[in-house]
Amino acid sequence: MSPRIRRPVVVLSLVLSAALAACSNPGASPSIAPPPSAAPTPSPSVEPSPSAAAFPVTITDDEATTVDLAAEPQKIVSLTPATTEILFEIGAGDRVVATDDGSDYPAAAVALPDVASFSSVDVEQVVSLAPDLVVAGGLGFTPPDVITRLRSLDIPVVVVYAASVDGVYHDIELLGQATGTSAAAVALTTSMRSEIDAISGAVAASGTRPRVYYEIGYDGTTGAIYAPADKSFVAEMVTLAGGDTITTGSASTYEIPIEKLIERDPQVIVLGVNPFYNPTPEAVAARPGWDVMTAVVNKDIRTVHDTEITRPGPRLPIGLRDLAATIRPDVTLPAAP
Amino acid sequence: MESAGTLAPGAHTGGLAAWVRERPVVVGLTGLVLLFVTAIAGVGLGSVQIGPSETIGVLLWRMLGLRVGLDWPPATETIVWDLRLPRVLTAMAIGSGLAVAGATFQGLLRNPLADPYVLGTASGAALGAAVAVLLPIQIAIIEFGLLHGLAFAGALLSAWVVFRLGGSGGAGGLTRLLLTGYAVGSVLAALLTMAMYVSGADLRQIFSFLLGGLAGASWIRLAVAGPLIAAACVLMVLRSRTLDGLLLGDAAAGHLGIDVRRERGILLALASLATAAGVAISGLIGFVGLVVPHVVRLMVGPAARRVLPISAIFGAALLAAADVVARLVGDVPVGVVMALLGAPFFLFLLQRSRSSYEL
Repeated sequence: MSPRIRRPVVVLSLVLSAALAACSNPGASPSIAPPPSAAPTPSPSVEPSPSAAAFPVTITDDEATTVDLAAEPQKIVSLTPATTEILFEIGAGDRVVATDDGSDYPAAAVALPDVASFSSVDVEQVVSLAPDLVVAGGLGFTPPDVITRLRSLDIPVVVVYAASVDGVYHDIELLGQATGTSAAAVALTTSMRSEIDAISGAVAASGTRPRVYYEIGYDGTTGAIYAPADKSFVAEMVTLAGGDTITTGSASTYEIPIEKLIERDPQVIVLGVNPFYNPTPEAVAARPGWDVMTAVVNKDIRTVHDTEITRPGPRLPIGLRDLAATIRPDVTLPAAP
Repeated sequence: MESAGTLAPGAHTGGLAAWVRERPVVVGLTGLVLLFVTAIAGVGLGSVQIGPSETIGVLLWRMLGLRVGLDWPPATETIVWDLRLPRVLTAMAIGSGLAVAGATFQGLLRNPLADPYVLGTASGAALGAAVAVLLPIQIAIIEFGLLHGLAFAGALLSAWVVFRLGGSGGAGGLTRLLLTGYAVGSVLAALLTMAMYVSGADLRQIFSFLLGGLAGASWIRLAVAGPLIAAACVLMVLRSRTLDGLLLGDAAAGHLGIDVRRERGILLALASLATAAGVAISGLIGFVGLVVPHVVRLMVGPAARRVLPISAIFGAALLAAADVVARLVGDVPVGVVMALLGAPFFLFLLQRSRSSYEL
């Protein structure tokens, strides 16, 4: 299997990207210049070969830290599942040498050594790989002390954190700049943006929005219910998918009291399932006190794969399509490109 | 509790224990050998395999500038010199600081359950760290962030508040100080719980401070915390005769010519300083400060002039050894390793000791 996995859409829209990029992301424009003829890469139609002007480059990461990259990174360590997906999708996957243990997509990334877990990063292992770029997660996903430590050892660290769908586009283009794959990155965000806009436009155009409770988790012993926080990534996805999102009422709390949920009366309950959380609609309907909700009465409790919806990476259009089809099965969605 | 301060007779122990008790130098030297072995293991072992010859080569090159006929990739040099060595030395500094501080607190407060955190330093440091995590400010001066600064300040501040509120002398002074420490610590712990409740995604960072660990060790941090801990420990050891005098009780110490209030204040400040400097780097590490002084007393008797320096050696060896094990097992919290390995050994010593055990 090829270490690079790209969807055809990237190839097709590549031609458009140079023109579009100038208006969609001015910051990325310096590195989108057509590559000089001396490009060493064997597949010039796909690989946006690094132009001589692209490096050295100074980029500003999501924590507003400026990172200097003297040359195109050849050994990249990715410390979050989302950045791993992005790096592979924009054509830098063959330069990724290690990931975290949550990086389960694409298949080529699974085989790479894991140097980080949910709770810690093995700094010694990272250093032993002598990476020239480490991509870390912000807001505490990668322990801040580890980021400081790696930088003190002269390893460039780019910290990304996407709080919104627009943030994901920004991160993809940022990583494009950092890895010398700007053209592919802009092509990817262009195609993502058009697909996501088409889906959300289709559901928005057709009638009323049902009140949606997207279940992130439920603790059977304490009865704690976990719903999207205000302005969270999941809440935005549910809104884009045509739902009137029921949120917790706070930007920092993911727990919602049962009384509030009953008061908001969800018309559709969406269960975001993943390998760690896998409830059934029957079990949800049987929870004490839940039988008064419209969604339970009408049996509108549906499951959807959670990873593509909540992971801020290149598969968001797939996640949004699944979510829209789950929330609004009545709407005919535009065909996938 | 006041009467518990008399020097233990230690005359009824027989055999090996008695032989050891008469020879504190042997115990100290054994500790130094253990410390040396631990240092070698700590630099030689880790999640990346590096051969002994390469490790020695790097050390000779960086310490003495000697190039033995060996070559290694730059990453190897970074791992040995910038990751492992400062981590081992930091573990030793913090381990000895906590052990000496613990021994001092136990002696001063005449309480066997006193540990370095008895004056609320743990809660103060943890609350400081939590506030630093929650504040939307990013400051980093060299390698010190807001977290280190506020943890250090929080530890010292809580010790100072307890000392001011609890008083330092007079009848019932010690009990009052202990209870004040408990009360202030409870308030700080409640605030910490509140901070953790509202922390959302930042909870992990606060939690890892509470668990404690040496992953953050670096030369620069050691260069700042190490001298503070070393100075505080040396000053405590130099005052160990005073500490022995204070163990006799306030009145007896006064007759020996000790300014009880002043000396107790100085010793409490030094022990708090050693604790705060360590905690700011490593987070909360338990066990070593409570148990090492007791292990040492079981071996060499209660005299502070023996207990303090030997506790420094054994505290350093224990924390560094536990950190090696913790690293090899996959960066589990070092406090867990220490309690699991150290507590059975302590119980064994406690069972073996036939004399009545006193501070």
